[in-house]
Order: sequence, then C-alpha cells, then structure tokens
Amino acid sequence: MGKVLLGRYIPGSSLVHRMDSRSKLILSFFFIVIIFLANNWESYLLLFIVTITSILTARVNFSFFIKGVRPLIWLILFTVLLQIFFSSGGTVFWKWGPFTLSYYGIVNGIYVFCRFVLIIFMSTLLTLTTAPLEIADALEKLMMPLKRIKVPVYEISLMLSIALRFVPTLMDETTKIMNAQRSRGVNFGEGNIMQQIKAVVPLLVPLFVSSFNRAEDLATAMEARGYHGGEGRTKYRVHYWEIRDTLGCTFFVVVFIILLFIRQW
Amino acid sequence: MVMGIIFKTVNYTYQPSTPFEQKALKNISVEIPTGSYTAVIGHTGSGKSTFLQHLNGLLRPSSGEIVIGKQIITPETKNKELGELRKHVGIVFQFPEAQLFEETVLKDIAFAPKNFGKNEEEATAIARQMARQVGLKEELLLKSPFELSGGQMRRVAIAGILAMEPEILVLDEPTAGLDPKGRLEMMEMFKELKEKQNLTVILVTHQMDDVANYADNVIVLENGRLIANGSPKKIFAQPKWLIEHHLALPKAGEFAVNFEKKTGYKFETLPLTESDLASQIVKMVHGGVQNG
Repeated sequence: MGKVLLGRYIPGSSLVHRMDSRSKLILSFFFIVIIFLANNWESYLLLFIVTITSILTARVNFSFFIKGVRPLIWLILFTVLLQIFFSSGGTVFWKWGPFTLSYYGIVNGIYVFCRFVLIIFMSTLLTLTTAPLEIADALEKLMMPLKRIKVPVYEISLMLSIALRFVPTLMDETTKIMNAQRSRGVNFGEGNIMQQIKAVVPLLVPLFVSSFNRAEDLATAMEARGYHGGEGRTKYRVHYWEIRDTLGCTFFVVVFIILLFIRQW
Repeated sequence: MVMGIIFKTVNYTYQPSTPFEQKALKNISVEIPTGSYTAVIGHTGSGKSTFLQHLNGLLRPSSGEIVIGKQIITPETKNKELGELRKHVGIVFQFPEAQLFEETVLKDIAFAPKNFGKNEEEATAIARQMARQVGLKEELLLKSPFELSGGQMRRVAIAGILAMEPEILVLDEPTAGLDPKGRLEMMEMFKELKEKQNLTVILVTHQMDDVANYADNVIVLENGRLIANGSPKKIFAQPKWLIEHHLALPKAGEFAVNFEKKTGYKFETLPLTESDLASQIVKMVHGGVQNG
C-alpha cells in the first residue's frame, strides 16, 4: 500500500493550509464549474496561472500533482482521442470511415486535456492541504440548510467521517492479512485470471469479518459514551471564517469576472 | 536442511523519498544460529515487526543483504524467487486468527500445505496431525472456524502455519490475549515442537519471563538499531542497563534483586527463572543452617 494519493493529507502551515475548510471546498467547486466557461487560449492560460499560483501558495511539492494525474491518464487519453477523432469542423486533415482529424477536433482535444489536468490539480490541492475529517466537517456545515427539507445531514456526515476515519485502518488491516496469506503461500497479482480471483477470497473473507466486528465494537463504544444522534451536539473542531478566506473568495470572484470578459461568446 | 539466518548491514525505509519517509531498520547485522530459540525484544516501534517481515521476504531490505539457508535476499531480489523461502519459514503473526477464512477448520489448516504443492489427501492428513498437536478436539475439525472461541481460533491459525512443516518458525507475540493457562500450554507446545523437530524458533515478545524460560539467544532492538545480542544470562546480567533502555527483568530476577536489597544476601548468579530462584534459595537456606 502507501501509493494511494487520493485523500492524502500533507500537513503544513501555508496560507492555503490555514484557510477554512469550508472556503476551500466552496472555491474548489466554484473553480471546477468555471473551468467549463473557458473556451479559448487566453481563458485556459488564465486558469492555469490561477492554479499554479494556488499550488505555489500551498508550498506543496509539485510531484504530488503529477502523481495525482497518473492513475487517470488512460481515462484522459481516451476522452481526448474521442474528442480528436469524432468532433469535426474547420480544416479536415484526414478522414477514414467515421474518423475525422480536423482542426477543431485537435483544438477540442487539447482543451479537454487542459480541463482534466486543471480539475485534478485543483482537487488534489484541496485534499493535500485539508485533512479528510475537516472536509467532512465542512460538508456537514454546508449541507445544514438541507435539514429543512428533511435531509439527514448529521447522519450523512457521521457516515462520511467514519468512512474516512477507517480508510487507513482498513488499509493496514489489508496489508496485515495479505502478509499472513502470502506467508501461507498465496501469490497476489500472479497467474491467470482464475488464479487471481481465487487469491482474493482468503483476503476478502477475513476483511469482511473484521469490518463487521469493528462496526459492532464502534457502535457499542459510541453508545457507551452517550451518542444519541447529532441533534444538539457541539463540535470539537470549530470553524472560523477569517480575512484570508474572504480574500481567497474575492480572488476567485475576480478571476471569474476576468474570465467572463476574455472568453469567447 | 540447515537454515542459518544472517543479516548483513540491513536497512529498511518505509515510503522512501516522501514526507512520510521512516527508517525502520538501521544497519542491522546479526546472525541467528540454526536450531536456536531466539527472542526478539524491544518496545513498540523498535522495528521488531519490520525485522520479522524480512525473515520470509515479505519485505526486502532497502540496502544490505540477508542470507537464509541458500537464499540470498538483496534489494533487487524478485518476488517470484521468494516462494521457495516461504515454504521453509512459517510466520505466526500477531492475532493470527484474523487470517482464517475457510469453511471448516480442517480446510483452513490444510490451506498452506496445499498452496505449497501437497495434494488434497496429504494436506488433510497433515492438517489432522497438526490439529492434534495444538490440542484441537476432533469434533471441532468440521466446524466453521468462526464458530470457535478466541483461544480455539488462535490454535487453528497456529496449526495452519505448523502444517507448512517449516524449518524456521517465527512467532509474533503468539500468546497475546490468551489466559494464563492457555499461554503456558502454548509456550510449552512450541518448546516441545522445537525439540522434537529441531526447529529454529524466533519469538517476538514483551514477556521477559518467556525470554528467560525458553530462549537461548536474545536480540534487543531500539529505534531500529540492534543494541544487544547474546544469551538471556548476558542480557539480563546488568539491571541498570535494562532500566536505561526501559526493559524489565523476568519476575524471578526482579524478585532476586529486591531480595538482595532487603536482606543483604547475594546470589551467586542472578536467577532468571522460578526454578533457578527456588534452588538458589534452597541452597542459601541450607548454607545458612550449616553456618548457624
């Protein structure tokens, strides 16, 4: 294990780290939405500058972002190729059956690639600089208005926190059981498909058993300490909206306005 | 087959060149003689578990070299070359009952021998024999392992490792969480097994009594470094050094040290086991009677 980057938090004290998780979450969503407004070179350049600036402010090693792109590279390439070969318009360079290679196709392909990279970079920045539990907290706070329409916000956020909390635990458990079964002669990731499927059984059964046991223990422990639903509970982690959050939001609104001016209508 | 274990300046680093980099083993050079009963002691986080996972190639050293029998493990060794080694080194992990998954106890015990090339019949025969060895009753063999009590599950898991018929048996706190009777039975069983089959046993433990009672060789780890290696007598000879490194004496030794302080008597050698303590006190009392 240890290669999974998604949701891997790197502690730090940069401006981005210290921002309120709510503002970071809102801004990430906001940025992902406005990426879809960009439709020419200038607008993509602007968004790249914004992303690079944010990454530099967070003072996180750039290699983490490259690693964030790598697991999705096939999906990206597939989408890009689809764009290149199936969208038409402008000068046609090459044609074969349903495939056309046109000027617009190539441009669209490059745009789609940029869009993917920008989205991945920004969401990686969010997860690298914000602890998973803080993201869960922020989600709970932001979902609060939904309580009016009877959405079980507390329960959703509790489920989310517990799930996040147990990701590392389950990963440890997986490593342990894999080690034990390897010592008993199981070869994971070797042989033909049937052998590989068979190798998963000695891993999955113990994992299920221990997860169920753990869930029961957790429920007992929570009840023993008086948990009775989220109503009226105070929070251990309190959010403070500071100047830097207002500044961050202003910065992105300004970017949004500039984007509206330079995009092609 | 002679299976000596030699570590040559072995280093191991978890997640190298990331912010989470952690050096778990630092320049470990040690030899574990064939047929010895070696105890590995040290605090949580001293590198015991990492050390242990090097013994059958679950981890490969980041630098350095490990020789186990004919197999040489270097950082470049391929996973495929390690299958043979795993046949000869059985590891009983901490809380090994977590590894049970088969429908019946018998099948679970037979799992490893089948993986290592035994046919159904041979594997089942070995499984029955090992179940008897660890003290599992015949009527439990066709039950699901998940219906058993914690102590019985532990026995099934241990039988599952013994069924590999390893030459080197590695035990990571095999008695943690057992009651005193179960603990004693289990330790005695390992001792008997070692003598009968001339195994090399490596025991990771926090129980200094087990070290004194069973081991003939001790490895002490601290922060990933080897800080002492020798017989239990040698390791427990300096109570001061032990205190400095936050290690304890076996109960008999502790009693003897307090006894010396309170009474002024001196033991010839510091007794480490209960029987040694008792015989020395008997000698002392008889000596005292003669002098008086």
